[in-house]
This record gives sequence, C-alpha cells and structure tokens, in this order.
Amino acid sequence: MRRTNYRTYAGTRFQMLSRDQLQALFDGVLHTLEYTGLEVHHEEAREILKEAGAWVEGLHVRIPPYLVKRSLQMAPRSFTIFARDGNPKHDIHIGPGRAHFGPGPTPPNFIDVETLERRPYVRADAEIVAKVCDALPNIDFVESLGTVSDVHHELAATYEFATMFPNTSKPIVAWSYGRDDAEDIHRIAVAEAGGQEAFERRPNYVHYCEPLSPLVSTFEAMDKLIFAARHRVPVIFTPCPLAGGTAPITAAGIIIQAAAESWMGLVVAQAISPGLPFFMGGVLSVMDMSAMILSYGAPELSLMMAGITELAHFVGLPLWQTGGCTDSKTLDEQAALEGALSVFFSALSAGDLCHDVGYTESGLTGSIFQTAMMDEAIGYSRRITRGIEVNDDTLAVEAIHNVGPNGHYLREPHTHRYYKTEFWYPNLCDRHNFEEWDMMGRTRMRDRVIARVRDILATHRPAPIKPETEETIQRVLEEAEARVAEHA
Amino acid sequence: MSRVLERLSTAILEGDKDKAARLVERALDQGVPAKEILDNGLMPGMDEVGARFRRGDMFVPEVIMSADAMQAGLDLLRPHLVAGGVELVGKIVMGTVKGDLHDIGKNLVDMMCEGAGFEIVDLGFNVPPEAFVEAIKEHKPDIVGMSAMLTTTMRAMGYTIKAIEEAGLRDRVKIMVGGAPVDAEFAKRIGADGYGSNAATAVELAKQLISAN
Repeated sequence: MRRTNYRTYAGTRFQMLSRDQLQALFDGVLHTLEYTGLEVHHEEAREILKEAGAWVEGLHVRIPPYLVKRSLQMAPRSFTIFARDGNPKHDIHIGPGRAHFGPGPTPPNFIDVETLERRPYVRADAEIVAKVCDALPNIDFVESLGTVSDVHHELAATYEFATMFPNTSKPIVAWSYGRDDAEDIHRIAVAEAGGQEAFERRPNYVHYCEPLSPLVSTFEAMDKLIFAARHRVPVIFTPCPLAGGTAPITAAGIIIQAAAESWMGLVVAQAISPGLPFFMGGVLSVMDMSAMILSYGAPELSLMMAGITELAHFVGLPLWQTGGCTDSKTLDEQAALEGALSVFFSALSAGDLCHDVGYTESGLTGSIFQTAMMDEAIGYSRRITRGIEVNDDTLAVEAIHNVGPNGHYLREPHTHRYYKTEFWYPNLCDRHNFEEWDMMGRTRMRDRVIARVRDILATHRPAPIKPETEETIQRVLEEAEARVAEHA
Repeated sequence: MSRVLERLSTAILEGDKDKAARLVERALDQGVPAKEILDNGLMPGMDEVGARFRRGDMFVPEVIMSADAMQAGLDLLRPHLVAGGVELVGKIVMGTVKGDLHDIGKNLVDMMCEGAGFEIVDLGFNVPPEAFVEAIKEHKPDIVGMSAMLTTTMRAMGYTIKAIEEAGLRDRVKIMVGGAPVDAEFAKRIGADGYGSNAATAVELAKQLISAN
C-alpha cells in the first residue's frame, strides 16, 4: 500500500532550541569572533589567519563573519573514520542522527583492574583500555583514559598510541603533547594504512587538540592542529570552559564562548586544508561553587552539551560530545546514575563522538570499569533512541487478528521475525528471579562489571596489525627515545 | 569602639567593599589602633567566611566578594600597620609554572590568601623557574606558591624547586603547590612543603607553614 504525504520519524526526536534561538547563539559566536577575538599564541597560525582574511594585531586575532561562514561551509558534516583492519563494523560513519561513544584522554590516575585501587596510569593500562574497548559492543572509538607515567615524560603520548594501536581496530582518538609526538603517532597510523595517500582516502584515527578558556589558542593546540591539517588527519578542537569560572555562568553564554574558541581552530584548519573533517568542541560544565572542581556529573553538563550539539548541527559541523562520566570516586550508584543519564542525553542529542565514557573523580581518574558499565547504558539508550518503527508489518494488525482473545504470541511468525531486533538484551543488568539471583551468588552490578572486564581481558583477541606496522612502531619508539636522549 | 569593629566584621562577611573601607576609616578616626582593627574587625569577619565556606553555607563568588572587602580594608590599614611596625600574617610569591597559561586556580588562591591577611606577590602564569628565584630575592617571601593545571606542566614545579635549591634559597622559603593534577604524593616527591587540594585548604596550609616557621 502506497501512502502519500505520510511523514515518518526515525528514532526518538529531541530538540531543545528553536531555530530562532540557534540563530541567536550563532550570531553571538560571530559577534564574539568579530569584536572580541582571541589570543593566538602561535606565529604561523596567526600568519595563516591573516592570509585567510582575519584581523591580526599582536597576539590578538579577530575573524570577520564571512570567513567563519566560509570555513563552516568547507567542513564536511558527513564522513567516515575507518577501522585500521578494514572491518566495516568498526568504521565510524559521522552524520546526522548518529551518536558514537568512547573513553577520554589524559587523567593522571587509573583504577587498577586487579587491586581496584586508584594509582598513577602506566603504559600497560593503555593495552587494557584498548583491548576492553575493542570488545565492548557499544564503544565505537578508543582513547586511553590516562597519561602514561612510566616512560620518559615527553614520550607519554607516543607510547600510549603505540600500545593502543595493535590492541584495537576501532578508530583511536589520539592525543599528543606537541608536534614531535603527533608525528610519531601519524607514522604508525600511516604505516598501517599503506602510505600517506592511502591514509588520506581512509583515515584511521582522529587527532585531539585543546585550546584554553577563556579565548586563548595555546601554542601546543595550534601546533598540533596545523600538523593534523597538513597531513589530512581528521581533527577535534575542543576547549574545556568552566561555567562561572573560565566562561559565562549561563548555558547560552558558555556555548557561545566555547564555539568561538573551537571555531578559531576551524578557520585555521580549513585555511590549510579545505574540507578537512573537523569536530567542534568542547567539554562544557560547571565549576562547582563549593568544591571548586569541574563537575563531570552535573546535569548542566548534559544540558550545555545538548545545546552546543544543536548549535554544531545547525551550522553543519559534527560535535565532540561528552557523557558516561562521573564525579564519583568509585564504581557506585552515583557513578551509574550520573554516567547513565549523561549517556542517554548524549544519545538523544546525537552528538557525533561522545567521549569521556569512563571518567571518574571529575576527570582525574580513568576507570575501564566505568566504561564497561556505561557500555550497558549506551546499549540501553540506543534502543530507546532507535525509536518506534511504524509500517504495515510492525503495526501487527494481522498478528493481533490471528492470535485473537486470550491467545499467546510466542508461536507467531511475527514474534519470530522481530524478537531479536525489537528487544535489547542486557549484558550486565540482572533480570533473573530472586531464587536464581540468590543461587548465582547475589551479585551486584559492580561485581558483574568487574567480572566482565576481567573476562574480556582473559579471552578477547583484537585483530592484529600488519607486520610492517609492528616494525614501524619499533622504529618510531627507538627514534623517539633517541630524540629525547639528545634533548637531555 | 567595638561596635565599629563588629560592623566591620559584618561588612566583610557581606562582601561589602565600600562599607568595609568606610568602617576602617571611621575606626582609624576614632583612634582604634590598626593592629586592633585587623585582629578584631577584619580577621574575625574573614574567619567566619572561611568557616561558612567549609560548611557549604557560602559559595566561591561570595567568598571572593568578602576577600575583596577584606583587601579594601587592608589597603587602608597597611600604611598604619607598617608605621606601627606590625607584621602582616606573611608574604607569598605565587605563580602558575612555566608552560602553563591556566590562571584561575592560582587567582582563587591569591584572593583567599589575601582575604586571610597574607600579602601576595603574583607573578602571573607561564612563570619560568628563574623568575621565581628572582622574586624570592627581591620580595623575600615566607612562602612560594606554585600552580599547574596540566599533567604536562606539573613537572615544571619540580624544576622550579630545583632552581630555588641551586640558588641557595630553599631554606629561606616554604613551598606549597596545587592544581588539578597535583596530589600530596607528587608534592612530596618533588620536595614541596605542602599541597593544597583547593583554594580553601591552600589558605589553611599557608597558615600552618607560617606557624611552623
């Protein structure tokens, strides 16, 4: 049966801001970039900006609206980040209505998977995080959840990537201190892709840059961005403003400032490399006015992130979302509540890459247990946001007729057609009856999360990298060690 | 006489800068000794602010208003205190270490310490070790405070302490450190005298370091 003028919605709709409100935010960002401007602590970046049409006075850079709009137009809304091993299930297709999830970068501490104690993050943890993320069905990209502390401090990012890369074929969001280690990382990724040209056709990682709030593009952030743009590495440019501290206290105000900070990177990236995939940031949350921390569990985080996601999509950019994180110090009810709600909200807003899944202690401690618990919350959220499919078959009028009063549906072909796809089946949430639960040792969520992580570590084998990539990694690490030995 | 000091304490608690300044002037006019205005007017107000903040009854923006009021009063009082040979609680040289442009945490500590009666010499952000050394020579502080926000720049705290040692100045100052990625263990490892987990504990720490002297 054909229908005419019949509208369908795929997924659960969620829209917080009207077009007029979004236009008001957009105008605010343009105004800020045109009249207030930013400090850009990078000479080459300032030259690139000037050349592109920005107004540069000393460190100070202001950008005319036409240049911002042109840069927005050049950046793609839809593109693909490819799995290093060609496994299409691990590709990430960025585009409207698609929310992806993964951990975050650089906390100094990690929850030890054996002792469950908080301690400094070490190189071996990068392998653990990569392997577990590789196995978790709802984690789409990988970050390390820590800063490697047991290698030469300038090489933390190089070792982190070199350790993660062989242990997952899901795309990695790489983090580095500066240009040297960004280059180390790129050499490894390019070796696996089969050369720079092959990499450009099928980019297999994303680079992460973080400017400073309020309104500063630091040297490191710009230097990394320029390297990424020159080598066609999809890039994230994400500030971390604190509402009430380093940004306006209102949600609308912090969104405007964060967007201005991020778009300075956008303009540079598009000037160097038109069409470069660019993720707008950043992490927007509140400075708790008692505890004086950046809260990773505040409802305002989800609210502000949904707002900036809508602004990003309004202007045609993908967004670097945040969720699955908590201020809790341990794997407890607070961690589950804050993490799950932000994951759900993030899924609703369909922010494109949602990171920090596994941040605890307000971003100071990475926990792969939190990531694993949130994998369940993401699956749960994805089932809801997939929405209700309405067609002649799902309407089930015929099945209802067949079963009739007081029958049952278990034997119906209709049931057999849908029972695997219409329901979400939990991995961690317990649905046994009391007696079964009792017999199985009365486990709590926490126990099941820990068991699952340890089980993955004992059994999961990620797809291997090419032998030549192994060699490249060896060489990159040796040359990096030589480089820092020379500096010393 | 004590009535004006009581009202001064209240003005501090309310974060009313103009009122605090007016009341300090009135007390001076009435012939109240500067030291007494400090000890029985400004300080009790600020102590109460600290107590309320720790209890969760006051929030950072209010504490900053109070610290500003305290500062306004102190600015008027300082010449009289100096003339009378009265020492302030202590002097702190403060800065965000080399490579780090993060300013807000250190500024909060500045304000809270000033509020507690410390004199602050703020070197700003991205402060190289040599600048800390020079500032110690020039300002002769009791305490050096260092801040870092990044795991990448916190190491600069260790380098700065080393530079202070090499300049032969280490035993002349107490050193306190803080910032999001820093913890007590790290502070100990790099040879600092103390670590404050937030601006309020930094003030307590500074007081302890002074009294230990």
